Amino acid sequence: MPTVEFGGKSFTVDEDGFIDDYTNWSQEWVQYVKKEEGIDELNDEHQKVVAVLREYYEKNGIAPMVRVLSKVTGFKLKHIYELFPSGPGKGACKMAGLPKPTGCV
Amino acid sequence: MPEGILCNKQVVDTKEKLNALLADKSGKQYYAEMKALDIDSKALWATLEKTCKSRLRTWLEICAHCGMCADSCFFYLANDKDPKQVPSYKIQSTLGEMVKRKGEVDNDFMHMVMDTAWSKCSCCNRCATYCPFGIDMGVMFGYVRGLCFSQGFVPWELKIGSGMHRIYNAQMDITTEDWVDTCEWMAEEYEEDWPGLEIPVDKENADIIYTVNAREPKHYPEDLAEAAILFHLAGENWTVPSQGWEETSLAMFAGDWGACKIQVESVYAAMDRLKPKRMVVTECGHAYRATVLEGPYWAGLKSGKTPIESFHYVEWVAEALRTGKLKIDPAKRIKEPVTYQDSCNYVRNAGLGDCAREIMSYIAEDFREMRPCKEHNFCCGGGGGLNGIGLYRQARNIGLTVKRDQILATGAKLVVAPCHNCWDAIRDLEEVYKIGIRWSFLKPLLLSMVEVPEHLKPKDE
Repeated sequence: MPTVEFGGKSFTVDEDGFIDDYTNWSQEWVQYVKKEEGIDELNDEHQKVVAVLREYYEKNGIAPMVRVLSKVTGFKLKHIYELFPSGPGKGACKMAGLPKPTGCV
Repeated sequence: MPEGILCNKQVVDTKEKLNALLADKSGKQYYAEMKALDIDSKALWATLEKTCKSRLRTWLEICAHCGMCADSCFFYLANDKDPKQVPSYKIQSTLGEMVKRKGEVDNDFMHMVMDTAWSKCSCCNRCATYCPFGIDMGVMFGYVRGLCFSQGFVPWELKIGSGMHRIYNAQMDITTEDWVDTCEWMAEEYEEDWPGLEIPVDKENADIIYTVNAREPKHYPEDLAEAAILFHLAGENWTVPSQGWEETSLAMFAGDWGACKIQVESVYAAMDRLKPKRMVVTECGHAYRATVLEGPYWAGLKSGKTPIESFHYVEWVAEALRTGKLKIDPAKRIKEPVTYQDSCNYVRNAGLGDCAREIMSYIAEDFREMRPCKEHNFCCGGGGGLNGIGLYRQARNIGLTVKRDQILATGAKLVVAPCHNCWDAIRDLEEVYKIGIRWSFLKPLLLSMVEVPEHLKPKDE
């Protein structure tokens, strides 16, 4: 498994660059994904999406559908894309330390 | 007979089993258990005796080892013409050996078969068009996948995918309520820009029943909204079913034939229940193959056809442009060089290449064909489920080089890819090889250039 170094921390990632172990997630990982995803500035809304994704994943063991993410955060779909241009299933899940969603994604 | 807790010969048909698999990140335990999995040779031989006959057995026996299939295979080309990537070698060394040995094979052999069936063949069927006898190794590897599945040798993500179909009638965890809620949500969010926009659910006797890929409600709901807007602009009388809306089949990629039948029957039941005139499926290649081309046989329909006439999205778009239901603003056509990725599943396997060209003639000023193209086009590199299998990421990325070089040769920086699998493969190709291209489905492109009838424009405009 490849590793990435960022902010003085080391992360093992899977073949798609998603963090290999959910429990190794940290704010340094968030900053790393921000850079990778080309997100200019990280704000409270990004953190809110990340928090909602992690909370859902801890409870359900899988990423939520976008509808759930929109309902819980109160963000419209277009706004979620403004926050995460590569999409909620990719960039946002990656930043939140979730595994890459399975299936045709 | 050692059976793993996660990796075994059973199907995934409960949420408990599914959740246990999902919790095993990247399938670490699953693949470790697979190394100890015993082969039920008796059952394997019984299946071969019962099902590997007539066409398949003849194909195995008449292969002249002429090698004509070699250059037809993108894996062979991408791997420096490795003889082990010649389609006839791949099938003879797997299915051929299984038959010769009357099913007496071991764990190492089955691992090799699994690796070959999922990482060295995307079931694109291109070899069949070059074999002098018409031997279709893609069809044969589809069959081999079923044998592997029955013995528990199937990539972790596809075991999950086929389980999803059994539990949710969809390749992802989406309930009827989730789906209907997403339809309502999308209509509501986009209604501001498109007054009167609706996503009608369970409307009877509509002209069109629209079916999708579960990834759309789960991860990309804008795709559903875009389809709705285009139907709205075209004035179509359409609907989506509350149940039976999912047309894809990871079960087909997995070789879980029981799940294939369950899935496709849910779609056919929606057709029977709502009595629409015809079905249109979203921009997905394998969904079309599963539900329209193969599904009738899984469901045992004697006609060999879907209960109602079924169309791929490119057929609907071509028709809408031809009949003027959708009109393109000439000033907004694509000016830059643009190419088109022919999906194996609806172009090579269903002959819809001309629809694609017709569409491009309306929307693009500088359309560049890939070479080869249409039914001779190469697989995107990620078909047959390969995009979604982490274990074979390296093999997939090597295979992508054929498509990369085809795209580069066109000089186009924009690739139209009306198939989710192709779209993903081209996105990943750009991520890995950074050749500076963009990629798109048809829907967003059409929305950027379609003329909006006066009565459908927002009032404040």
